[in-house]
Amino acid sequence: MAPVEVEGLTKHYGDVVANDALSFEVEAGEVFGYLGPNGAGKTTTIRTLMGFQSPTAGTARLLGADVRDEGAHIEARRRIGYLPESPAFDESATGRELLDLHAAVKGDERRDELLELFSPPLDRPIREYSTGNVQMLGLVQAFMHDPDLVVMDEPTSGLDPLKVQQFNEFLRGEQRAGTTVFMSSHQLSEVRRVCDRVGVIREAELVTTERVDALLRRSGKFVRLRAAEPLDAGDVAMDGVHDVQVRPGDGDDGVTEMTFTYTGDVNPLVERVAGYDLLDLDVEEAPLEEVFMRFYGGEAGA
Amino acid sequence: MLEFARYDGRKRLRGSLVMAAGLAAFAALIVWVYPSFSAMDNIDQFVEAYPEPLIEAFGIRSLTTIGGFLATEIYSFGWVILLGLYFAYAAASIVAGDVEDERMDMLLSLPVSRVRLVGERFAALGVPLLVVNVVTPVVVYAGVQFVDASIDAADLVAVHALSVPYLLACAAIGLVFSVVLSRESTAQRAALGSVFGLFLLESALASTDLEWLGALTPMRYYDPTAVLVDGQYDLQGATVLLGATAVLLAGALLLFRRKDIQ
Repeated sequence: MAPVEVEGLTKHYGDVVANDALSFEVEAGEVFGYLGPNGAGKTTTIRTLMGFQSPTAGTARLLGADVRDEGAHIEARRRIGYLPESPAFDESATGRELLDLHAAVKGDERRDELLELFSPPLDRPIREYSTGNVQMLGLVQAFMHDPDLVVMDEPTSGLDPLKVQQFNEFLRGEQRAGTTVFMSSHQLSEVRRVCDRVGVIREAELVTTERVDALLRRSGKFVRLRAAEPLDAGDVAMDGVHDVQVRPGDGDDGVTEMTFTYTGDVNPLVERVAGYDLLDLDVEEAPLEEVFMRFYGGEAGA
Repeated sequence: MLEFARYDGRKRLRGSLVMAAGLAAFAALIVWVYPSFSAMDNIDQFVEAYPEPLIEAFGIRSLTTIGGFLATEIYSFGWVILLGLYFAYAAASIVAGDVEDERMDMLLSLPVSRVRLVGERFAALGVPLLVVNVVTPVVVYAGVQFVDASIDAADLVAVHALSVPYLLACAAIGLVFSVVLSRESTAQRAALGSVFGLFLLESALASTDLEWLGALTPMRYYDPTAVLVDGQYDLQGATVLLGATAVLLAGALLLFRRKDIQ
């Protein structure tokens, strides 16, 4: 039994189809990234999984509990942690009072350990919290009862870069400990750092589920080169080169700037361009946004 | 169990004490005014000059006895209207406020049923209900002794005890709006409007052909004047109010159980 099983999950809001017959599974111990542009339906799926709304058709199971079966779902939630996109708490309470309430309901065997990592000002009322502090409080409550499955909607939004790094390290530790994570994100750099596999949703439909390393391999590199001689697209034409753009450099010094995407082994590429009088050569991972545009963009709505 | 009732109850305690202090001070003032008021001549003529619906609205029977005076000045106004509105308003926030501000997601992610969550939070209204109904009668009783009048302690206890089902019914009306409407301010306005509207309806229909319609209002079943002037305790009315509370509460909980939180 996979910790997350989604079967033909469909959700309509009136005439708007927010999720259209989604099916996928998240395996035990996996960190699964749920990716898509804003408005694609990521939050809708998460809200249905968590039981905040019922599916229009199809269903999903968390830790074996059907989302349509309240009793079973409640039992499962003892072992589930949840962090919404913008967590909101009783603002008059202090962080400590809030965690005490959560602890009384679901347990808190890991509270102290988590508070060493994420440290919101516990004795101040939550209304005085910054966005980052609220997010940290949200993270602590999501993991404090040592859940088997954690569902998170954009978990690092509002965290400063240092905390994001800490969070990523923490998540890798959780992964090693066998926790299953289902998280949505639009930050692809984050996803590639922490996720094993991704599901891509676009306009309410699941476009693909794929291992992150395969996706990165397929997505290729983003190459930028500057040469002290006039070049055109034909000069770099070879298998795996796409979307070549050439810009003559500034002035009449004959400098050419060229960008393209390259899928394939990097050695033939280097051999190919070695003969040119290069000023600069950048080879970096393609931003996943572009990957999506290239692989899935054209299929959207088709 | 009862984590949410305890949490909410603690949160409501301070406000309840402030409210109880305010109502007790108001009650003390009324009691203090009583001797000079009752010494005036022609009070009853003065009362007769009021239009009938107003007399009904405030349950004015006799302003010359301490019981009748308190029933009109404190209980018909403070309990039937003010506290009725307060409990409807407070209950109207329970669900709609958290849904509107997206706090509900966090609560519903916990391993508790929706019925238990909202049921417990409704139960936490027991804190203000208890505090005002314990503090005020003590102040009123002491005040009445102080001005050398006398009031039947049992009647005083009864007028407070019988207000509990009435105020619960008002709260249940508020809770229904809180579940049905997803904006807090709309739910609050609807709850206030309904309870005040029911109060006006009951008063306006009294002594008309449509008086029977008043049976649909909670005010029909709680009459402080009957308790304090005649010593009549309407236990049947209290039962009706408790029944109505149970029905409204069950309806609200069932609706909330099936509701999509968006």
